[in-house]
Order: sequence, then structure tokens, then C-alpha cells
Amino acid sequence: MDSMTGRSGLPRTVDVLIVGGGATGAGLLRDLARRGLRCLLVEKADLASGTSGRYHGLLHSGARYVARDAQAARECILENGILRRIAPACIEDTGGIFVATPDDPDDYVGAFPGRCAAVGIPCAEEPVAELFRREPALNRGIRRAFRVPDASLEPWRLVEANLLDARQHGSAALPYRQVVGMERNGGFVAAVSIADVRSGTVERIVPRIVVSATGAWAGRVAALAGVSLPMSPGKGSMLIYNQRMTDSVINRCKPPGDGDIMVPVHTVAILGTTEIGVDDPDHYEVTPAEVEALVEAGEALFPDLGRMRILRAYAGVRPLYMPAEVAGPAGVSAGAADREVSRAHVVIDHEARDGVSNFVSVVGGKLTTYRLMAEQTADAVCAKLGVDLPCSTADDVLPGQVAGHGYYWLGHRLAEHEAAGGGDATLICECELVTRPALEGFLAERMPCSLDDVRRGTRLGMGPCQGAFCTFRAAGVVAALGSAEAPDAAGENAADARAELAQGTLVAFMRERYRGTRPIAWGRQLQELWLSTGIYWGILGLDAFEPATAELPIEVGVGDGPR
Amino acid sequence: MARADVAVVGAGLAGLTAAIQLAEAGARVQVMATGHAATHWAPGGIDAGALPGSRTSLDAVERLARLEGHPYAFLADGLPDALAWLRSALGAEGLDLVGELTDPLRAIPTAIGSTRLAAILPDGMAAALPAWTAGETLVVCGPAGFRDFWPDAIAAGLRRPSTWRGHPRPARVEALTVELPGLAGRHNLSSLDLARFFDDPDWRATALEAIARALEGRPQEPGRIALPAVLGLHDHPAALAAARERLPLAPFEVALVPPSVPGLRLFAALRATLRRLGGRLQVGEAVHGVIGADGRVAELRAPAAAREFVLTAGAIVLATGGIAGGGIVAERAGSLVESVLGLPVDGPERGDWLLVDPFDPAGHPLEAAGIRTDVRLRPVAPGALERPLAENVRIAGSLLAGQRFLRQRCGDGVAIASGRLAALELRGSGSAPRSAAVVGAGREARS
Repeated sequence: MDSMTGRSGLPRTVDVLIVGGGATGAGLLRDLARRGLRCLLVEKADLASGTSGRYHGLLHSGARYVARDAQAARECILENGILRRIAPACIEDTGGIFVATPDDPDDYVGAFPGRCAAVGIPCAEEPVAELFRREPALNRGIRRAFRVPDASLEPWRLVEANLLDARQHGSAALPYRQVVGMERNGGFVAAVSIADVRSGTVERIVPRIVVSATGAWAGRVAALAGVSLPMSPGKGSMLIYNQRMTDSVINRCKPPGDGDIMVPVHTVAILGTTEIGVDDPDHYEVTPAEVEALVEAGEALFPDLGRMRILRAYAGVRPLYMPAEVAGPAGVSAGAADREVSRAHVVIDHEARDGVSNFVSVVGGKLTTYRLMAEQTADAVCAKLGVDLPCSTADDVLPGQVAGHGYYWLGHRLAEHEAAGGGDATLICECELVTRPALEGFLAERMPCSLDDVRRGTRLGMGPCQGAFCTFRAAGVVAALGSAEAPDAAGENAADARAELAQGTLVAFMRERYRGTRPIAWGRQLQELWLSTGIYWGILGLDAFEPATAELPIEVGVGDGPR
Repeated sequence: MARADVAVVGAGLAGLTAAIQLAEAGARVQVMATGHAATHWAPGGIDAGALPGSRTSLDAVERLARLEGHPYAFLADGLPDALAWLRSALGAEGLDLVGELTDPLRAIPTAIGSTRLAAILPDGMAAALPAWTAGETLVVCGPAGFRDFWPDAIAAGLRRPSTWRGHPRPARVEALTVELPGLAGRHNLSSLDLARFFDDPDWRATALEAIARALEGRPQEPGRIALPAVLGLHDHPAALAAARERLPLAPFEVALVPPSVPGLRLFAALRATLRRLGGRLQVGEAVHGVIGADGRVAELRAPAAAREFVLTAGAIVLATGGIAGGGIVAERAGSLVESVLGLPVDGPERGDWLLVDPFDPAGHPLEAAGIRTDVRLRPVAPGALERPLAENVRIAGSLLAGQRFLRQRCGDGVAIASGRLAALELRGSGSAPRSAAVVGAGREARS
């Protein structure tokens, strides 16, 4: 198997089957592949489409955790340094500032620099006059400010780079493959059934070890192996502003709470977050009350926030894990997630815990420490396989990493395009400057795929117009590629099918964008929504298209078990 | 200080209809607008109404007129006259409208390969209206390298029977991409760029020649050819005539995403008409006014370069549009604010604005938000329909409450019918407005 595109079939046997295509799974695939093991990663949807693609984009310095979790803080600052070295192209070095607003507790603020020093986080106090010169939109009531090495981290490129490295070391990752069953042979997972969620075909694979890196979904995957793993998924909601009102990550210098961080990401800025327990990691909405709470809290940082335009609200589901010894013998009920549940990650060997010798879960954690989680999980896997191979993921730079740049600027992607000798090109997405060659390159690797996959892969539709002027163009490019490939009569049907999928997923894309706009639809953004709805419904007649997704509904073969 | 008999706020179809008809009646008219309106993104035809199951626009209009609170309840009767007037006004500028309120609604191909229902279209789109007959072919033809018209995708969509909403459809749909002269190196052409190319007689002759050559060798069968709506901006009639003459298939334009060239033609024709009649048009300022203690709005104010611009007017037509046009601002706290006079808005509570499904056929409750009026288009409070809030103000177009532009497709019909009624109401407004006495009497009677 030499392809990650999903066009090739599954191998029959692998050393390690990794379930879950987020940052942790991708990091683990890279780690094990570099140690010489033959691995396969499967992801039920698109790569990095779960929690990894739905966070606020922060590379933690660790300063957020200094008061309550020194261990997490230490891990963050170490990994922060490593990621800056191995993944410079995924990082915008914005720096971070912890600011003390008039409402923040004096004792917390006073102890903050010492606590940072104690765990090795560089922290320098900045005079507020200098702060206001650099960040004029901030609340003038801010009393003190501390610089820490926070940064902005792009998850999709990071996951892609990890997978590329894994592929170069002989392993593979397949999106739209869902584990639907595990065959237990006593204390051993003998085989795993994997469904292609686009065709519906199910194949059986025999791995030596199965690792679940499925985050908030870990309980469901563990249940397939007959194991109970109580997760406590926590919804974190975020708001995307249509401007960068700050060049640096701004944090409030107080115990963690709602709306206490603003992260500049490419052309936008993201205000995070809330923390609410959810029953089902697949079905949740951002509520108006959450939006209101976020904006109100954010106004302590940026007093004009209430008048700034929000593009979209979205949420991710934290993979919070509450161990039985903490939760008590009865486990925890759903919805117990709160800020008291640890963010720490845990590698669970189900041999000792549940008597399943070749099944491992990795849960908890945060994107900043994905590599460390992968390393510790890989160590556990190697120990089980009885091999002693060193980890090299902290030492070698990921593939495709051009030397780091400073602040992101709008022309950045065009500069990259020109530097690569691209010449003149058609701009398909004018907000995020996605060129036709860039889009075609992505499609050549990933078709058939949904336009939402295109969004994650290229940032098409993520800018201020939220896809109103570019998504139908992307569908047009899909159709043009299809007809260029297959000009004969038989091939025409294949091209039509591709166009139909693109047009169907156009409906799904607009629905998904609408879902993100609806909680924040007022003022200018409501006007924008009215415009795009008027275009797609009124002028373009989108309502005559059958909605489609790239996936088929898949029946999970083995009983649901405990969640 | 500037003076006008009537100030019209808003430069869309409703405002321009009112302004031109008032100017025709001899009034001094000044149009003020914050920006351009739906003319710049709408397809340029007249959507008077389309509902599931309605055969003609008139069927839909009559059904809507029976809905409680719909503006057609008092506007429907004037719609045929309004349409006849618009047809004649546009015709004088060389733009013809084809189709009647009593014609069947047809499925018209769109720029993503879907269809929308319409019956009254600009001449350039008219060849899409007749029912498709057996054996007819549709060729979808676009210039290579143009970002907003993808023939392969459009043809693929139009080949699926479900796209046609149960209406007659062509037997075959083919895609054709043509290199047009001199555009090989142009990557980011807009519809406006192409329309300006088509204004040039020499260039369009070679372009049409290239399309005609690409069609050579096709079997001789009846058919039509769909082109992006870029057949000229300033000289559209000549470009359309040339296309009809040179191409072997009947050409029709397909509306694109904004900016809409057919909409710009419509706007340009109405602006020219207004100016010829001595009316003035100013775009680019946010306009505000106050209802005085006498129940009248005496003047409008707008920020200008050195000082505030003040316009004194005998009467005012408010045609600022709904939420899309900025006539109503939906605030974060949940209030709906009319942006010029602060009139009370009739609309749903914050939690009920939008449905879960963006394309829910029921339409979003917020679509119906707007200003309530009496049958003379004077603004009233939602609960007090008999008591006008401002005697010399008339409301027109999408600002009127009770219409659902997405679900009912009635926006253009309401615009021209209300623009016409506002003009009829305010004829004779001037330095000594006829209605002034009425206001005084009304207020005395109440107090």
C-alpha cells in the first residue's frame, strides 16, 4: 500500500492499527513508523476533522496551567520548544500576553511570574504603556502584563505533515474508514472490521496491536473491544472574529474561565472558550447563551468586542477522561465535564486494566502535547511488542517545513505560490487566497471528497464571505477536472457523478456554514448571511439539489456496550 | 440647504420606481442612498411571486394577497399597472422585459447547474422561458478561465431530471468551454470585465465567431445555448442582437453571482430615466431623520465631507430595503431597528429569527420583519394600524412587513407596486403639501 488517498484497499495485517486521525493519532503513526513498525491509521471522517480541527489554534506556553497543574505546564513548555523546531511552518510566532484586568485577583497576578519561573516558562513583565502601544484595542484598565511564548498553531498542516512523514516511513492513513467491530479471542483482539463509509464495504484486518486515539469518542471504540472506558466529553465553544484586533495571543491572568483568551489565526481572531458537558460528541450546538457569555467575558479584554463582527461560532469536544478511581466505582454520568476534570493525558493499557492484551487507549491531553502523548503511547506499544526502539520525533524536523516566518500577512499564501514558481493563477477563494492550482493539487490527492474536506485542506471558504463566493467555484473545478479526465461516453457518467457529489456537498457545506453563523447572526453578519442565502437560494436555486455528504450511514456491527 | 418636493431614501427598484413616477408627475425628486441595492445582485427580471404549486406569478400573487398581513393585500391590484409602466420605462432605454404575470412559471437554468422559477425576464434571458420541446438540446457555453461560470458542472446539474422541479427539460445538455480572443492570459476576469469586452463591437464579433466555430460539426438539431450574463453592459441590445444573428442556437444569458450585469443594466436604465426627468440621485451616505411633533418629517440629514448635508422635503419615501439592504438592523440584543427614522419594526423575537435548516421551505420568520403600514403606505405601529406615525412618509419595497423574499419570491413585484402607490400618494407634495392639512386635522381629531 503506497497511497494515503483511500483509493487502495486495506492491508490484511499490520503491526499496529491506530484508530483516530486527529493530531494524536497522526503523531503516533509518525512515531511508530519512524521506529520501523508497519502501521495503519483509520479515521471515520476526514483527517483532523474532530477535536484537533476544532480548537482555538493555541500553541500553549503552559502559563495557563501554572497555578493548578504544574506537570501540564512543564509538558507544554517543553513541547512548545520542540514544535517550534520540528514544525515551524505550522506555527505563527505571535507571542502571548497574560494581562491583569481590574477584575482579576491580585494574589493570582502577584504569584504568576514566580509560578512560571518555577516550571521553566519564560515570563517577562511588560510595561502597560508599551502593551497599549503594541495592542491598542486592549482594555485601558489593564494593570499588568506578562509576555510568554504562546503562539498560533495550525492543526491541519500539522496533521498533514505528521502523516506525510509516516508515509515516507512506510505507513499509511486512510480517511473515511470507520471501525465497526472488533473480534475478541479471549483476552486478545483477533481482528478488526473496518467500513469504508463512502462505499459501505467492510474489510477485516488483523493487527498485532490496536491503539485508540479517538479522544472524546474513545468510550465508543473501547466498547467495540468489550471494554468500559468512561469519558466525560466537554464542549468548548469559540467565536471567530473577522479581524485580528490583536497581534499576540491575549490571556486573562486569572484562574481559567469562559472567554478568557483571544488567539490571532491567519486573517481572523478566535475568542475561547466555554466548558459544558455533552452527552454525544457528534451532536451539539453552540447556544445563544454561550455566545452572550463569551462576548461579555471577552469585553474585559477588548472593550469594543461587542461591536466587532463575528463570522462564526463553533465548538470542539474535549477528550476529558475521568479515571474510575476519581469518579468512584459507579463511573461518571455524562455531562460532568468541567474545568476540574484534568487536562492531563493518560495512556491506558487495557491488558492490566481490562484483560485485553493488545488494546491501548490514549485519552485526555491537548493539541500542544500531541507529540508527547504519541511518544508515551508508542513506548507502551513497543514494550508490549517486546521491541526496544528509540523515539525520534522530537529530533527530526517534519517534512515540508520551510523556515518559520513572523506574523502572518494576507499576501502570505500568494507569496508562497510565487516562490514556488506558480506564476499567474486564478484565485478561487479570494478571502483566503486559494489558487486554482492549489485547489487542483488538493483534489488530485483527495478526490472523491466533500467540499468541507476542501475547506480544511485549503482554508477555502474560511474567510469573511464564509464560502458565499467560492464554494460553487470549487464545485466547478471538481466537474472540470472530472470531464478533463474522462472525455469518452462511458467516462462522462463518472464525471457527472463527481459533479453531482460536489453539488450535493455544496448543499451540505452551506448548511454547515449556516450552522456556524446562526448563533451569531445579527448586524453585519446577519446581512452577510441574508446575502449568501439570497444568492444560493434565490439566484442559484440550490434548493433543487439533493444534499449529499461524502459518507454513507454505517451500521456499527458490534453492540454499543457501555459508553 | 437643499430642497426637494419628495426625498426618496433608497436606490433600489422600489425607490427608483417611486422617484421616476413622481418626477414624471412634475415633482422635484431627490434620491439618497447609503449604497447600491438589490439591483446590483438580482438577476434583472421581475419576480412577482412563486409558490409551490402556483402555475403563474398571478396565481402566487393572488394567494399571497389573501395571506394576513402580506403587502399584496393592498398592492396586488396595482401590480399589473406597475409592471406595464416599468416595461415601458425600460423599453424606452432599450431594455425589454419578456413575459407576463399570467404566463406559466418556468424552471430557468442557473449558474450552478440548478434551476429557479421565473416568468418575467430581461430580453437577454428570454430564450430560457419557452417550454423545452422533444429533441431539443441545451449547450452550456462559457469562456475558458472565467471563475463564475463552469460549463461542466452546470451541464452535469442540468442533466439530472430532479434539477428541473417537474418542469419540461431539454433532451440533451452539453458543456462547451471556449477560448475567447485575447483572454488566454487573464486569470481573474469578472463578469463586469467580460461585459465591457462584449460592449466592443470588434471584440464581440471575434468572440461570437469563436463560439460559432466551436459549435460547428454538431448535429443539426434544434436547441438553445446558455451563456453567462455578460453580453454587454452599456451596449447590451447590440451585443444581444449580434449573438442572435451569429450563433446557430438561440442564446440566453444565465444570471451569475454578484455583481449582476443584468441588474446593473436595469439600474443604469432607471437612473438615466430619473436624470432625464430632472431627478437627482446621491449614493454613499447614511441618512437620518426625525419625526417632528407635528407628525411630519421635515428634513433628512446625512454626514458629508465638511458639514452635515441637510435636505428639506415635503414628503419622504422610505425604500431602504429589509435586513439585506440595511433598512432594518438586527441588533445583538435582539432589537430590530429601522435605520432612518427609527420606526417600530414588526418582527419575531430574537429566539425565533432563524430556522434550523437554512433552506427550510417554510422560510425564516425574520424574512417577514418590516414596517407595518396602512393601505396608503403610511407607517404605523404594529398594534395600532389605524394611526399613521408620520403623515408625509410612505414605505415601499422590502422594508414592508409581511413578505418573505426567499420563500415567496415576491420582492420585485412588491417593490414596483409599492413604489407606484407611493408616487400616486405623494403627487402634489411640495412647498405646500396637500397632505399637511390632513395631518393637522388628524392630530386635532385625536387629541
